[in-house]
Amino acid sequence: MRVATDIGGTFTDLVSVDEDGKICIAKSDTTPPNFEEGVMNVIAKAELKGDDIETFIHGTTVIINALTERNGVKTGLITTKGFRDVLEIARGNRPDLFNVRYQKPKPFVPRALRLEVEERLNQKGEIITPLNVNDVETAVAQLRREGVEAIAICYLHAYANPEHERLTAELIHKMWPEVAVTASHEVTKEWREYERTNTVVLNSYVKPVAERYVNNLNNRLLEINVTGQKYIMQSNAGTTTFEQSKQSPIHMVESGPVAGVFGAAMLGKMIGHENVIAFDIGGTTAKCSLIDGGEVTVTTDYRIEWDERHAGYPIKIPVVDIVEVGNGGGSIAWIDQASALKVGPKSAGAQPGPVAYGRGGTEPTTTDANLVTGRLSAKNFSMAVNLEAVRSAIDEKIAKKFGVPVEEAALGIIRIANSNMLNALKLISVRRGYDPRDFAMVAFGGGGAMHAAFLARELGVTKVVVPVAASVFSAWGMLMTDLRHDYLQTYIRRTSELSLGEFNGAWEALEQQAIVQYQSEAIEEGQVVFHRYVDMRYLGQEHTVKVPVPGGRVTEQVLADVNATFHAIHEQNYTFKLENNPTEIVNLHLVAFGTVTKPEIAEIEPVSHTVADAVLETRPVYFEHVGFVDTRVYDRSRLGPGFELEGPAIVEEPSSSTLVYPEQRLTVDKYGNLIIYTGVQ
Amino acid sequence: MAKADVFTLEVVKDSLMAIGEEMFYALARTSMSPIIYEVLDFASGLTDAKGQLLTQGNGVTGFIGMLSSMVKETLKKFENDLKPGDIIIINDPYGGGGSHLSDVGLVMPIFYQGQLVAFAANKAHWTEVGGKDPGSWTTDSTEIYQEGLQFPAVKLFDEGHINQALVDILAANVRFPDLSLGDMWAQVAGLRTGERRFQELCGKFGKDTVLQSIEYMLDYGEQMAREELKKLPKGVYEVEDFIDDDGLGHGPLNVRCKVTITDDEFIVDFTGSHKQVPGPINCSYTGLVSAVRTIFLAATNPGQDVNDGVFRPLTIIAEKGSILNAERPAPVSTYWESMIFGADMVWKALAPVLPERLTAGHLESVCSVIVSGTHPDTNEPFLIVEPSVGGWGAGLGMDGQSGQFCLGDGETFNVPVEVAETRYGVRLQEYSLTADGTGAGQYRGGAGAIRSYEALTDNQFVTASFGRNKYPVWGASGGRDGSYNKIEIIRKDGTKEGPFGKCARKILNKGDVVRLITATGGGYGDPLLRNPQKVVEDVKNGWITIAQAKEIYGVVIDEQTLTLATPVTSPME
Repeated sequence: MRVATDIGGTFTDLVSVDEDGKICIAKSDTTPPNFEEGVMNVIAKAELKGDDIETFIHGTTVIINALTERNGVKTGLITTKGFRDVLEIARGNRPDLFNVRYQKPKPFVPRALRLEVEERLNQKGEIITPLNVNDVETAVAQLRREGVEAIAICYLHAYANPEHERLTAELIHKMWPEVAVTASHEVTKEWREYERTNTVVLNSYVKPVAERYVNNLNNRLLEINVTGQKYIMQSNAGTTTFEQSKQSPIHMVESGPVAGVFGAAMLGKMIGHENVIAFDIGGTTAKCSLIDGGEVTVTTDYRIEWDERHAGYPIKIPVVDIVEVGNGGGSIAWIDQASALKVGPKSAGAQPGPVAYGRGGTEPTTTDANLVTGRLSAKNFSMAVNLEAVRSAIDEKIAKKFGVPVEEAALGIIRIANSNMLNALKLISVRRGYDPRDFAMVAFGGGGAMHAAFLARELGVTKVVVPVAASVFSAWGMLMTDLRHDYLQTYIRRTSELSLGEFNGAWEALEQQAIVQYQSEAIEEGQVVFHRYVDMRYLGQEHTVKVPVPGGRVTEQVLADVNATFHAIHEQNYTFKLENNPTEIVNLHLVAFGTVTKPEIAEIEPVSHTVADAVLETRPVYFEHVGFVDTRVYDRSRLGPGFELEGPAIVEEPSSSTLVYPEQRLTVDKYGNLIIYTGVQ
Repeated sequence: MAKADVFTLEVVKDSLMAIGEEMFYALARTSMSPIIYEVLDFASGLTDAKGQLLTQGNGVTGFIGMLSSMVKETLKKFENDLKPGDIIIINDPYGGGGSHLSDVGLVMPIFYQGQLVAFAANKAHWTEVGGKDPGSWTTDSTEIYQEGLQFPAVKLFDEGHINQALVDILAANVRFPDLSLGDMWAQVAGLRTGERRFQELCGKFGKDTVLQSIEYMLDYGEQMAREELKKLPKGVYEVEDFIDDDGLGHGPLNVRCKVTITDDEFIVDFTGSHKQVPGPINCSYTGLVSAVRTIFLAATNPGQDVNDGVFRPLTIIAEKGSILNAERPAPVSTYWESMIFGADMVWKALAPVLPERLTAGHLESVCSVIVSGTHPDTNEPFLIVEPSVGGWGAGLGMDGQSGQFCLGDGETFNVPVEVAETRYGVRLQEYSLTADGTGAGQYRGGAGAIRSYEALTDNQFVTASFGRNKYPVWGASGGRDGSYNKIEIIRKDGTKEGPFGKCARKILNKGDVVRLITATGGGYGDPLLRNPQKVVEDVKNGWITIAQAKEIYGVVIDEQTLTLATPVTSPME
């Protein structure tokens, strides 16, 4: 049996699949600060026996929490002489342009703990000044006196030659074996010293935290006899072993959210859609990501605590490219000082939550608006809902200010929220040159199914899929994962001057590195599958586009094809190409999958009753332009494979509702997924 | 015409802003020049059919008045001769441009169903527009004709057909035509994106609804600004300060500023400031407008989305022929030295009365640098054109920020050392923060930076303009002044030249080093009121010495343990 557990802000989810492909789902409370407790609870709740768990896959928020709550360890930095302030200067930018009180992100290592040593490489990796061992010893002694628990090493141009970093790490291990050490080249081999320094610093900062957590979890799992394979979900949408995750814990930073996107890609493959827009609405945010040809999009332009007004902290690791907006079910609707209606980014969260929760929330939220318009049912909440309180909150705070009926105000909230989410969906699709008609939208999270049919129609997507495990979809996605390691190597060469021998050698070296890595994780060479990419640009540009490279030996012809693909992708993304301009390779990117066998998901049982038997009630629902329309409400658990129904309709299940607009149609596929035909031709 | 409901107007307004953003990133990601894709020294946006700014994506603050002025110039010149597919090119500082010739603007009218409904416009700093020196701007030009090729609002595209003659002239007059033309195409792509999206929006919501949303948007901006204006302290605030010199030895040059705030007006008057000068630090009125708008936004509500409605309460006065309202053919290539100075004066006038919005003074100058020469590996020419980070002022409840670009910049990124060394024929000896002990206060001014380039080939040259090199960065509310921006050259044999505030075409040979050093920001509040624990941290972090802790902050620190020596000699916070 494969079992996935995913720790979220409120719940810890479990999804398992047995040898027959049967899915089982369980949910339990998340238990900070001892998160492993919640994992054990949910395993118990699902009534799973440890011995039956052959493969255990885990997604965790422990790393992102340690970073955002500043719960990591005191960390020191050793760096090249003359450059200790790189971490504090950062990039010098001020995204909040018209705020002269803007404050830069504060470095995770204060100046007193950033120590310099004599050494210098040039951009080709040649040694200009040899490493001064005495300087390293002095620095380590000083950091020891200061009581740091972790040390990060980052030298200029270490992506081109890691030798000095390696020597330094060895020296530290000898002098002080207990301290956690990370050298930049172990985490990223891309150029740009600030980003690389920050990445290695953050890895060091959480390393002891990750080690404690993974060890605790492992011990608890062993107690109940889980002796099978244990993997942790990484931000690149693949997994790694518990052991490896402790070395580079920073890779776990987006552990949970990316699994949902990966799940959408896998679900798309199952039902014949290689092009998918993954769309996830939670309590606080909506997230979306584009899957082109079955592959999730991975980028190293990731940062935390970033928004349009804050520079945030870059982390140069491969992360699934997710665009997030501050619009979820709990997002608060408010009126600004010039009388415009806004929704989010402030959220009522889980506590107090929307007014509907009756936990003291007084600010109207998107969830409340969905209730007032009849889109959500008070009966489908796990608590008793005081509908009058919800109506009166929207009436007092919004409707009266605009002099409109309460339903119209509620619909206004939904329209503003939809507009925000639509902009995010456009950002990942049309704005990057994709035609939404070529994509299916997979909607999940608590609120995805409520807004998806409308947004898909607006965007021009023909089909929406609401998966079976929509509210625990990240855990479902984890079940489908393989192991994955990404190797990015900055490798700056003009395409026209490339030496094929050297180029092929570089790929072989990366592949060899991957094979060795997998051997240590008990994955045979035959199970390893490679995908190659290069990051390319026109000579003189800075930003790159990712271009696939076929496996095997690269010949002149292959290179010409890669170049042609680059021009085409550039034109798709940016509307123009410059075919006569020289092109340049910046990074080699090798993705190495360690494939594992997974059971096939079983089809659901046919049922003998009809779709009419699944109707729960008919109730008025408030729609754009037309007002209240009597709408049939269906019980999802009673919808069998092949069932069809016409919009307007609502399909309810615990913790989620699917809204189908007038003139839209919904069918149930053989796996139990809801498929909405949006009316877009 | 049916009146659209308020929620629809809001949705269309959001869409217009998203279009502005998309145009901005399309340009950034396809540009050929580091000054655009790293420094983001450009802006792009939409105006209405009359040239009123609707939405502007900014990499820097300095262009916040300049898109609409270009569109208005276009309307003035072409009136009824605009057609779909036209693109107008402008860089004339005195004719809609506003800054210097290096900033090249493109304007595209947007038509829907035969009606002119809006304009897309952008403006970007091209690395090269010709002129007497590589990189085009310099510190010793005496006429605008020395500063590059001038585009006085002419059609680059006529109904979609490129004006090849103009492009050929352009290519023949600039030193790196690939760079300049690459940037031009990136700008064209950005405008066409804006045109397409705007037309889609009209198609979806109807032209009338979109036009109503535009009015709604501008009124919204105005109302936001007026609400904030009500909260500002009413009164008249006056200051005077001095620009070091004009680059040719004339100076100091006085700038006078009187800010009047009433219930519904914000008037900035520079009457009495120095007349325009022979050197290239003059600023056109359009440039001044951008500068004052920047600090007006900072003083009112730094959070708001910006359109021309926001600026309706703002009036800016400067005498014609003065340094902040210069007239042709005065040279303007380092206009920022006076332009940002103008903003700095408004800032300084209001800092004492707006502590929750403003801080003490910052490095103030762009501290821009040009280094050119040949790359040792490829023997190809290289050209660095970049601004420098420096210290920002402390404010109520916050120490100043260290190593940040000046007010005229913004979402501006420094060039990473590893990128610079790969691309250019230089090696960096250090990129560090300064610790000169200035800018003391209850809250300490942020540190400036030192960036030093070693030339790896002979016959490189450096031009740099580092204003505020004779008059220090100002402290506020009892905080001490910060320091000065400066440039030094250390020759291979160890001899030192400088410090200078400005230099033009200084030769660097292999092994010579130029050190670019920026100022520490001003302090805020009496240093004796600084929390002694923070003073201890300052010493540990190397910002101040133990001696400075005692002399300036009245805090005695034990040299061995680096802890407070009792008794505490200053009052606790």
